[in-house]
Amino acid sequence: MDIKQKVKDLLKEAKEQVAATDLMHNLNQVKADYLGKKGPFSGLMRHMKDLPNEEKPTFGKAVNTAKQELKKAIEKQREVIKERQIQAKLEAETIDVTLPSRQFRLGNKHLLTQIIEHIEDLFIGMGYEIKEGPEVEIDEYNFEKLNLPKNHPARDMQDTFYITEDTLLRTHTSPVQVRTMLNNNGNKPIKIICPGIVYRRDDDDATHSHQFMQIEGLVVDEKTTMADLKGTLEIMAKELFGEQRKIRLRPDYFPFTEPSVEVDVSCHNCGGDGCHICKQTGWIEVLGAGMVNNNVLKASGYDPEKYQGFAFGVGVERLAMLKYKINDIRDFYTNDQRFNNQFK
Amino acid sequence: MKVSINWLKDFVDVDVDIETLSNLFTLHSAEIEETTKLINATNLKVGFVTDIKKHENADTLNVCQVKTNEGTHQIICGAPNVQENQHVIVAMPGAVLPGNFKIKKAKIRGVESNGMICSLNELGVDKSLVDASGIHVIKEACTLYDNPLEVLNLDDEVMTVHVNPNRPDLLSIMGVAIDTAAILDKEYHPKSYTVNEIKEENPIDITLNTPYCPSYYTRVVKDVVIRESPRFIKSRLIAAGMRPINNIVDITNYVMLETGQPLHAFDLDSLEKEEITVRLAKDNESFKTLDNKERLLKEDDIVITSNDIPIALGGVMGGADSEITDQTSRIIIESAIFDEVHIRNTQKRLDLRSEASTRFERGIDPNRTKLALDMCASLFEKYADAKTLKNIKKVDNIKPQSTEISVSLEKINKTLGTSYTKKDITQTLDKLFFNYTTNKTTFNIIPPSHRLQIETYQDIIEEVGRMLGYKNIPSSLPETVSVGRLSSYQIFKRNIKHHMTSLGLNEVKTYALIKDERVHEFDKDSQRTIQVNRPMSQEHKTLTLSPLPNLIDVVKYNKARKLSDVFIFELGKNYQKDNEIELLSGTLTGTYDSVDWQSSNKTIDFYLVKGLLESLFEKLNLNQITYHPTNAYKNCHPGQTALIKQGDDTLGFIGKIHPKYAQTHKLEDTFVFELDLKEMYNNKTAITQFNEISKYPSITRDIALVVDDKVLASELLESIKKASNKTLKTATVFDVYHGEPLAETQKSLAIKLTFGLKDRTLETQEIEEQVALILQAVKRKYDAELRSI
Ligand SMILES: [Zn+2]
Repeated sequence: MDIKQKVKDLLKEAKEQVAATDLMHNLNQVKADYLGKKGPFSGLMRHMKDLPNEEKPTFGKAVNTAKQELKKAIEKQREVIKERQIQAKLEAETIDVTLPSRQFRLGNKHLLTQIIEHIEDLFIGMGYEIKEGPEVEIDEYNFEKLNLPKNHPARDMQDTFYITEDTLLRTHTSPVQVRTMLNNNGNKPIKIICPGIVYRRDDDDATHSHQFMQIEGLVVDEKTTMADLKGTLEIMAKELFGEQRKIRLRPDYFPFTEPSVEVDVSCHNCGGDGCHICKQTGWIEVLGAGMVNNNVLKASGYDPEKYQGFAFGVGVERLAMLKYKINDIRDFYTNDQRFNNQFK
Repeated sequence: MKVSINWLKDFVDVDVDIETLSNLFTLHSAEIEETTKLINATNLKVGFVTDIKKHENADTLNVCQVKTNEGTHQIICGAPNVQENQHVIVAMPGAVLPGNFKIKKAKIRGVESNGMICSLNELGVDKSLVDASGIHVIKEACTLYDNPLEVLNLDDEVMTVHVNPNRPDLLSIMGVAIDTAAILDKEYHPKSYTVNEIKEENPIDITLNTPYCPSYYTRVVKDVVIRESPRFIKSRLIAAGMRPINNIVDITNYVMLETGQPLHAFDLDSLEKEEITVRLAKDNESFKTLDNKERLLKEDDIVITSNDIPIALGGVMGGADSEITDQTSRIIIESAIFDEVHIRNTQKRLDLRSEASTRFERGIDPNRTKLALDMCASLFEKYADAKTLKNIKKVDNIKPQSTEISVSLEKINKTLGTSYTKKDITQTLDKLFFNYTTNKTTFNIIPPSHRLQIETYQDIIEEVGRMLGYKNIPSSLPETVSVGRLSSYQIFKRNIKHHMTSLGLNEVKTYALIKDERVHEFDKDSQRTIQVNRPMSQEHKTLTLSPLPNLIDVVKYNKARKLSDVFIFELGKNYQKDNEIELLSGTLTGTYDSVDWQSSNKTIDFYLVKGLLESLFEKLNLNQITYHPTNAYKNCHPGQTALIKQGDDTLGFIGKIHPKYAQTHKLEDTFVFELDLKEMYNNKTAITQFNEISKYPSITRDIALVVDDKVLASELLESIKKASNKTLKTATVFDVYHGEPLAETQKSLAIKLTFGLKDRTLETQEIEEQVALILQAVKRKYDAELRSI
């Protein structure tokens, strides 16, 4: 047989083997088998000495070319196998992405905390500080210094849990305002927000709670007006109930303020046209406010000839109930996790 | 205060509808709680009963022939008082009565009925105000063409005014009328009453022996005839929510409603002496009130006496013995003023609140005392055939209001933030009947006697503000510039809430007042507790020492609703006298991380809760926290509870609830923790300087030590740290082994030691030396043997 034909056949056979190999170590074996020192190409080279001299260079070149070609084929096959392996891995690792996830627990702040922090942040932005105080208070700070002497008829408006004759559970966060004014020795402007727990001797039902949360605000300086009160409450109403809200003030009575007003916010449910939430009036009673009564300023060391200011108070549960259409105030204290988890 | 619009029209020309009036009144005077028609029914006619026959199938029913302006109708009626030749109110088919009750043609037990003969109760008047036992018979002259409601003065509307403590004037029609006139910019027309005195003199001698009755006026009338009141008085009382009784009682009530001055009528002939003395009661003095109840009095109560025998509890209730009866002929009319505080105390103590006492406790206009008396006598003359004896007998110690209130236009505008003119102010004052003089822009004001609560210039500013309208006040913001911020403690508390929620715990809020028996459930020190005097219920009586009993209840509540994984915390308090200790408390139960299909559930255990807390401590820069086993909490597992300390300060505790407690509350494995916020806040460190990161690699060595089971890991690690020098950076337990080949009382702790220095790489030799030192030390102290890993 023609020796050149032999080289051709050998290359063809080797390439077929390479192409049939699908594992990397088999490919390496094929490479060693054909191209190793004891392989068939080396064997062919040993025949060279039997050839006439003039044919030797051509033969040598042909064998080398064939070896190079085989090497290329092997490297090409190596890439093919690598790619196949990756494909196999991808296939093996394919999962059902629609199965449920690993659960990370999600905790939430209580809705009342969320509303309080929201209001705190709003007022911090307007230059207010946050003041807190004790819930077990003395009568003097809860009532007397707020223009509510013993036997004042308005004491009936807030039935009180007394602990002793002089200590009680505060009925509003106003004593914090008293404490702040007293601390200032009557000669510093005040801009504060006082959030906290308060108590009234009420039977618990859908709209009454013996414990609830309140936020009060107090501004005292030399020129704060009722117009400033109106502007401030407008900002709060819009922040809580939406940019379209309006407010209206109407006369009311609180011993600690004079003039005193009740503040209505235009209904966020119907936009003021009238619905069941606003009892067809278009307005919702939201908070009480007024100009600080001079007796209150005096009792806490501020000279009413020099200082004036406003105060307001709002029930946090009421805000939450209005905003989220919650019908039962007890829901805030039951802590059914299906309730709490709705407010992220 | 329920205000009849017809009554209001006696004083003011009200030319707007009730909705408009009520809206304006709410914006300028006081909230209108409700507006209603006195009778809310349609298609009513005057009917005349011409014939009555018993219903053939029902004994209690009558078949009536009733004539109206549209003919004669057959109507079935069950009322016992239906009779021939009566005028009655008929609701014709098509009529709608209160409660959306529609009248239709019907067959009642086989007999046709074309409408209904009505009682006032069926027309919506409350049972407490009228006789509801039968139909209403019209006694007034009328024709079949009249509207029955007009005939009965019941075609009225009512608005309910919410009366605040500063507006006692609104407890009278006159007071409401004055504000109405001012709001509508109309004239207020006062009424006047003339009394026709006879020659005979009022015989009553009056002595006031207490300053708490500053004024006492009487008139005497005689020959009174007790009968029903005229229709307009009855209907106006009904509109005001008072039940008509007879002409004498009704007229005193009528005068009170119109003027705000309560009156009382005594049967003069029941008195032992023609004399009245007002004094304070003697302690334990006994007195029988109108309602026939024997009352024990106290020194604080004001009594009206005659011949030293109490005849009335002043301002609160009359006596049974001097009550007006059908036989009464001579009457003393009392018009007086009593001290607000005494009235309040008496009515509160005896639980005797009445229309009269409500007015006395709010304050009475002294200028209406005589007016009311004359009005009453005049109406008695007219409607009870009374003859009024000559002269008013009185003692009046009230001095007229003379102190002026000064306020300047500038002060008004500076308070309201407005730019009102002098004219704006004078017009307002005029409308409200305030007397004043002006000096340039200063007003010196004497308020009218019906506005007793106007005492300061701020009160005047309120009058101006409300009358000129709060809607006319502009909007602005306070000019004072200030720094708004949270205190560092407030930021600390917010960080805690933020971190706990990030870890998957839900914040809850619970009541601070709880059952007394439960307050000590997680209190190891038997602390003193605070109770309220008059709790609303035993459930809410004592202030918490810890919110944990509440959190346990929250877990129970949710578990009962198949929510078994409950991870909650609360920022609550331990309420001590003069100190409210703020706490972070938590309760955790169930599976922390669950993906059921992978079955990799992690049921909560001590170390998970500890890990949650440690992440909090790390976040808050609380370092060197140590854990100390404790059995001090009676409701916690003694083997799975630890005090959490930093140095000598106890921050709180962490523990599993005791199996017995768990059983009582039907709970599974549940863990609790509690931390003192102030202690944490005071012990946290602040980062003041950045810590250079070492460029040289650290080297680790793992050792396993066999020790007695009772040896705490924390103790072993502590002695390891003590034994080595500063090249030992950390020592942590990474495995715990019990079992073969160890003895039962032994355990093996695998510990990773990490060595390193900031300025160079450690030599192997140095590390081996340190490990040897460590092994020596633990061998000495705990007889710890090295075990090959
Ligand atoms: Zn609405």
